[in-house]
Amino acid sequence: MSLINNKNSYRVLLITSFIALNVLVLFGISSILTYLNKGADRSTMLHLDKETINTYLPKVTWKSLKNPGRKMENQTLSTIEKHYLFSWHIKNNVLKTNTNEGINDYFTENYRKILDTIISINKEKKISIESTTLTHNPILNFYSEDGQLVVFTDENVVEFQNIYQDKKLITSIKDTASYKIMMLLEDGFWRIRHCERMTKVVDTVKVSTVKKIFTVKKNQILKNNKPFIIKGINYYPKNLAWDMYGDLFNLDTIATDFDIITKAKLNTIRIFVPYEDFGKAEVKAEKITKLKQVLALAETKKLAVIVTLFDFYGDYSVNNWTLTQRHAETVVSSCKNFANIVSWDIKNEPDLDFESRGIQNVKPWLSEMIEVVKKAAPNHLVTIGYSTIKSGEILKDEVDFISYHYYEDIFQFKNKLAILEKTTNKPLVLQEFGMSSNQGFWSWFGNTKKNQADYHKEMQAIFKEKQLAFVSWTLYDFPKVPNGVAGKWPWIKNKQKQFGFIDSEGRQKPSFLYITY
Amino acid sequence: MIKRRQHIIVLVSIALVLLSMTLLDKKSINKNTFTCLTTQENFVAGNPITIEFKGFFKNKPQLFVIHSFGKTLLDGVLKNEKIYFNLPKNYTLKTGNVSWFLIENKKKKAKGNFKILPNNETKTKLESYLGPPSTLAGDNHFVMFVTIPTDDYDNPKPPNTNVSIKHHFLNAIFTDNEKTKDFIAWKNIYAPKKSGIVLISASCNEALTQEFDAVIYPSIAKDFTISYKRNHEFADGNQITKLTTSILKDKFGNTVSDGTMVTFVIKNKENAILKTFGTTIEGIATGQILHPEKENKFIVKAFVNGICKSNVIEIAYKSINPTVEFLFSKDNRTITVGSIKSFMNQIVPDGIKVNLNIYHKDSLVETITKNSNKGKAEFYLSTEFYKEKSYHFEIETLGKTIKTKEINVIDQQ
Repeated sequence: MSLINNKNSYRVLLITSFIALNVLVLFGISSILTYLNKGADRSTMLHLDKETINTYLPKVTWKSLKNPGRKMENQTLSTIEKHYLFSWHIKNNVLKTNTNEGINDYFTENYRKILDTIISINKEKKISIESTTLTHNPILNFYSEDGQLVVFTDENVVEFQNIYQDKKLITSIKDTASYKIMMLLEDGFWRIRHCERMTKVVDTVKVSTVKKIFTVKKNQILKNNKPFIIKGINYYPKNLAWDMYGDLFNLDTIATDFDIITKAKLNTIRIFVPYEDFGKAEVKAEKITKLKQVLALAETKKLAVIVTLFDFYGDYSVNNWTLTQRHAETVVSSCKNFANIVSWDIKNEPDLDFESRGIQNVKPWLSEMIEVVKKAAPNHLVTIGYSTIKSGEILKDEVDFISYHYYEDIFQFKNKLAILEKTTNKPLVLQEFGMSSNQGFWSWFGNTKKNQADYHKEMQAIFKEKQLAFVSWTLYDFPKVPNGVAGKWPWIKNKQKQFGFIDSEGRQKPSFLYITY
Repeated sequence: MIKRRQHIIVLVSIALVLLSMTLLDKKSINKNTFTCLTTQENFVAGNPITIEFKGFFKNKPQLFVIHSFGKTLLDGVLKNEKIYFNLPKNYTLKTGNVSWFLIENKKKKAKGNFKILPNNETKTKLESYLGPPSTLAGDNHFVMFVTIPTDDYDNPKPPNTNVSIKHHFLNAIFTDNEKTKDFIAWKNIYAPKKSGIVLISASCNEALTQEFDAVIYPSIAKDFTISYKRNHEFADGNQITKLTTSILKDKFGNTVSDGTMVTFVIKNKENAILKTFGTTIEGIATGQILHPEKENKFIVKAFVNGICKSNVIEIAYKSINPTVEFLFSKDNRTITVGSIKSFMNQIVPDGIKVNLNIYHKDSLVETITKNSNKGKAEFYLSTEFYKEKSYHFEIETLGKTIKTKEINVIDQQ
């Protein structure tokens, strides 16, 4: 009790609380001062040029720059081209969304007035037009002495559009027309002043005289004019499933695997080029180098190659077409000198995307992509690997040979094949088939390694009988499968891991005996 | 019997084949009877445009149009097995090729195109640009005049529309008739050899442009001469010599533009380079230099940088040979130089440089520089620095040097 009434204890309490208060006040002041002295983030002091991402990259080929006015400078030309393409991009966007976003930058006032009325009519009628232009072939007509006015004719602009009303697809239309354009340089922007649509110019068709190693004659694929039956296998290195060109890329491992494949008397491999991993529209040089190394290695091992493009791509929206086209163009044209490429496979199982992405987007995307690839490598064949035998008919007249995948019942195979055979006289390639030997904890009723061997034995017997081209899935069991391929459920993932002829420890499974006929 | 039966079978089968063929035929006719009744291929901007189809329409077809300015989907008006599509007014105002696609039941049934031409009945408008707005005289220099004639709906006129482009210079008027191509009619107007202003205008039908001024600047200057002017020839460090150019002219005799910069480069006897500048007014540039303080010879040349040069002139300055008095204070620590008298025995102007070199046993201790004030300069030798007793001095001013005898400095303490 004396402690409570003690004067000293009051004193101590008072003094400590006074000191504590002072400490708090000092701390508060000091934190305010440090905040005020910190200053702004230095990077915000400068108006740094914003990095622009390429959003619209149709193929532009300036045919001629001769004009009676001023000589065109390269710098100005690239600015004009950039702003002109932006004007298309903005116009496409305007017609899609029926808003006038961005039109102030790329169209002069008079043009904007008309554009505004067009927007309001379409908005009222709930019309939305998703459009893109695929090629531009401008010819310079006039460039003024003061560098402020330019007139050019953009020949044979290929336009594609999906027309929607009330969010329902009306139809898809592809059309070609030429445009005469006048642009003015106003406060740093080249803006469209006049634009007149004209009929397309008749193209002089060039007869291609490229030498082809692989050709197609009736229902046969020929190599140097001799029948070539594809006996192949889908290939990923064991530890790099769906990630072949990453940091762990190792040419020695691939070389050993190729030796295994040639020893097994197979003549073809199918490999994949992932879209995003390769850098989308701006393809990364180091990835191309790795791809070329793999192709060159296959050439030395006398393996033909089917290269499947656009792995892990699934957008197809019309406004991104130009980006994917530039991707394909770069990849394909940089590999066009490889004589061992049998064909470019545009996309793996695109028919699975018909429902989720809209057939009106996917099918014309494929069809346009075939053209781009054929133009980039006229010496190679083109195919599309459909997920089912039934889908094989899609775009059958545009591909060089038809590829299909078969994971259904073996006893139906012959009948289903017969139906497809009737619809076309182009060569057919079974581009993926196989069975997972996944019996175990995650799948009690799955197939055993024996079942897998029996399956391949039976399939090979059919192939031998009918002399069919096949590419089996796959060389290895994979210890790891990324979520992007088979989802995250372990029972599905586990199944995907065990389609191989060789297990993840490198031992040949019983099915290896029936890898070919 | 058997034969008859065979005949019947054959006949019936032929009949069936014929029937099915006609039926099929009918069906296909029904499917494809989308004929475009509009045969007109060219329309004039501003007039209503209707596209008409005849046929058997199950679903109401729509017409998709692609126009220079945009795209849209049109609903038709059905009337007696015919369907009419009216192009909205904003589309009819603008020229260009229009593609149309008849769509029925999500399928393209017919396609075609027509053209909208500029409306020559309406008022002509003329947009024009002059660039660059100025240039140099002669030598194929030119300004470009670009005109864009349009109709009242802002559509560029068809090719080969006449535009007359006029320009006026020194009482002469020139008219050129140009025809439009690629939307524009244009003319390069070459600069005359005389500097001045060229007035430019254009007309197309009743449309006129306003007056454009193209300024023709004189061309670059030719070599010129320089001269100088001064009050006297003495190196008094005070007077100013004026350097003047002749009238700077271009090769066509035009006086160069005011403000042309002329650099005068001067080399003196010691090979030091001095510079002075002047800008031209009515072709003449003036530069100024201060007289040196002792006898010297200046070699002067002038330049318009990178363009032309002048002749070389020499300017000699005589020494004024001044009379210089000096006086030591009692303790010999203050030396008063002056009065310094000039060539007419007048006291020199203020600010003349006076140097005092202080020597101790023939080695230079310090040089003190002062400017004259009322013809005098005073030097003080402080006790802290000048501890030695004996010094001798040199007084330098206006190119004259006076040596004193050995003088003993007295320490006041």
